[in-house]
Amino acid sequence: MSAVSTASPRPSTVGAPVRLQKSAAATTWSFLRANPLALIGVTLVIFWVVVSLTAPWLVPFSPTQQSIPDRLQPPSAAHWFGTDQLGRDVFSRVLYGGRLSLPAGIAVIVIAGIVGTIVGALAGYIGGWFDEVLMRVTEVFIAFPTIILAMAIAAALGPSLINAILAMVVVWWPNYARVVRALVLSVKSRDFVEASAAIGTRRTRILWRTVLPNCLAPAIVLATIDLGNAILIFAGLSFLGLGPPPNTPEWGRMIADGIEYFDQWWIAAFPGLAIFTVVMAFNFIGDAIRDALDPRLRKTL
Amino acid sequence: MPVYQYILRRLVLTIPLLIGITLIAFVISHAVPADPVTANLGQKAMSDPEIVAAFRAEWGLDDPLAVQYGRYLGNLVQGDMGRSIKTRRAVLEDLRAYLPATIELATAAILFGVTVGLIFGVLSALKRNSWLDHIVRVISLLGVSVPVFWLALLALYIFYAWLGVAAGPGRLDVGMTPPPHATGLYTVDALLAGQWNVFFNALWHLALPALVLGSFTTGVITRVTRSAMLDVLSQEYMRTAHAKGLAPRVVITQHALRNALIPIVTVIGFSYGNLLAGTVLTESIFAWPGIGQYAYRASTSLDFPAIMGVSLLIAIIFIAVNLVADVLYFSLDPRLRAQA
Repeated sequence: MSAVSTASPRPSTVGAPVRLQKSAAATTWSFLRANPLALIGVTLVIFWVVVSLTAPWLVPFSPTQQSIPDRLQPPSAAHWFGTDQLGRDVFSRVLYGGRLSLPAGIAVIVIAGIVGTIVGALAGYIGGWFDEVLMRVTEVFIAFPTIILAMAIAAALGPSLINAILAMVVVWWPNYARVVRALVLSVKSRDFVEASAAIGTRRTRILWRTVLPNCLAPAIVLATIDLGNAILIFAGLSFLGLGPPPNTPEWGRMIADGIEYFDQWWIAAFPGLAIFTVVMAFNFIGDAIRDALDPRLRKTL
Repeated sequence: MPVYQYILRRLVLTIPLLIGITLIAFVISHAVPADPVTANLGQKAMSDPEIVAAFRAEWGLDDPLAVQYGRYLGNLVQGDMGRSIKTRRAVLEDLRAYLPATIELATAAILFGVTVGLIFGVLSALKRNSWLDHIVRVISLLGVSVPVFWLALLALYIFYAWLGVAAGPGRLDVGMTPPPHATGLYTVDALLAGQWNVFFNALWHLALPALVLGSFTTGVITRVTRSAMLDVLSQEYMRTAHAKGLAPRVVITQHALRNALIPIVTVIGFSYGNLLAGTVLTESIFAWPGIGQYAYRASTSLDFPAIMGVSLLIAIIFIAVNLVADVLYFSLDPRLRAQA
């Protein structure tokens, strides 16, 4: 991911040297005050996290309970978002959807992040033919557009929640491997690393205790920026029928249901709005973070 | 280094990439738990060991994986991508039939994305921190956040079913005969045949899917253009250009945009590949008969040769487009030529 934005619209506090007395909370708050979009993003994320955690107590109906006499009803006082082709309450299903999409997106990013960090760190630190081979491998993976490769893998493994996550991890790790490798290469030549080698520290210890901790912060920032995208691709896989099984309240799959009932717009409209707001929230936050970043870092991400 | 030498070197570097891609496509479809036999034979046929054995023998599923891969590669070099288990036709033949519709759609989408993205991006950079910049920023962020399959449904609902201003699903109105086949792109074929009514109808049908598909790309290109322009505008030669009395329009188009185009070209190449992938999510909604629909049907029936064919085709187009972008980049930037 190259620099998508170079300039912040307002002077931001994160890039500038932060006074030592300032607490993390105060820094975050002044960052959000200076970036209204990020503030909207954070609010939306908190909203969806709370809704997902408390969904069982919020929903008026069970998200999987079918009621054929009530099928295809437009939004009403009883069914705020209407009912679908099996008489299930769309509002309840939308509220439950976040319980799948958010953890799925996070799982993909965390697992791919760990795999990518290990591979990238080894490649960058060991170098030579080892680095060369690993980087050629990542290039091959990156040559496939994300959704195509994920689709092929998910289809081959068989449609399920776990397989969809697994497929996305296979597609996602090379991005992190490349970023972490670049970071390791730049940290490797810094004075404190050479000092550590000079006093006789073992190579493996230098890598895990000295080099890697200095690469983690930017990698974590990249992961945050990526989260929205991961949720979007996950919804796409479910939409294609390659995610959790049919009755599961999952946003992408609910939209797929809506295609066959085109005139009942509410079946697809509300779950889509849910995906849209979640992804938008993460993109708003990610954009502000990218803007606030140190320009040198921005080039790496 | 002259450009032809650069192209040659890049082409050689592409070979291991292509082998890697076929290997991945092959491993995915052969070394995983999913069994093409269960996917393609009914319950009844599955209980008959003779039918199962015949099926396995017919598709060579009993040979060692290395042999199967070798055979696959050998066939591939001769342009044989195998036979689709579902349609029972050669995969290459299927792809040839479906590809033009996708190329037409993806090209229209990239044209839209590049035009709008460049204009928005340049204006945004020139009027930095104005209300226009902020609005463009929000719109482009919304563009990269919206699920394209949902936007497709919503657009059809609003512009086709409700307002009635857009064409319905499909490439032409029902009952209209496609133009005589030349390229497979209906708009181009209709123009070649001089059938104006068909041309406008095809264009009308193309507009909404292309707009929807291009929404993500528009957002990306806008952001990249803005940031590339801001980078260039802060350079000292911009001040020089202004100081020597050039008209602002000349400074912007000749000095700023030309240099900013270099990173933008790379992103456009990258975006085109993603557009081809994005068609998988939109074509089913617009009943657009392209490789996206073909790929989806292939995936759900575990039609391995077809899945491999589509993945390979998209990956190869993706590599080719990026190669072209890199060559353009190389010829646009004299610094690179001097370095190499």
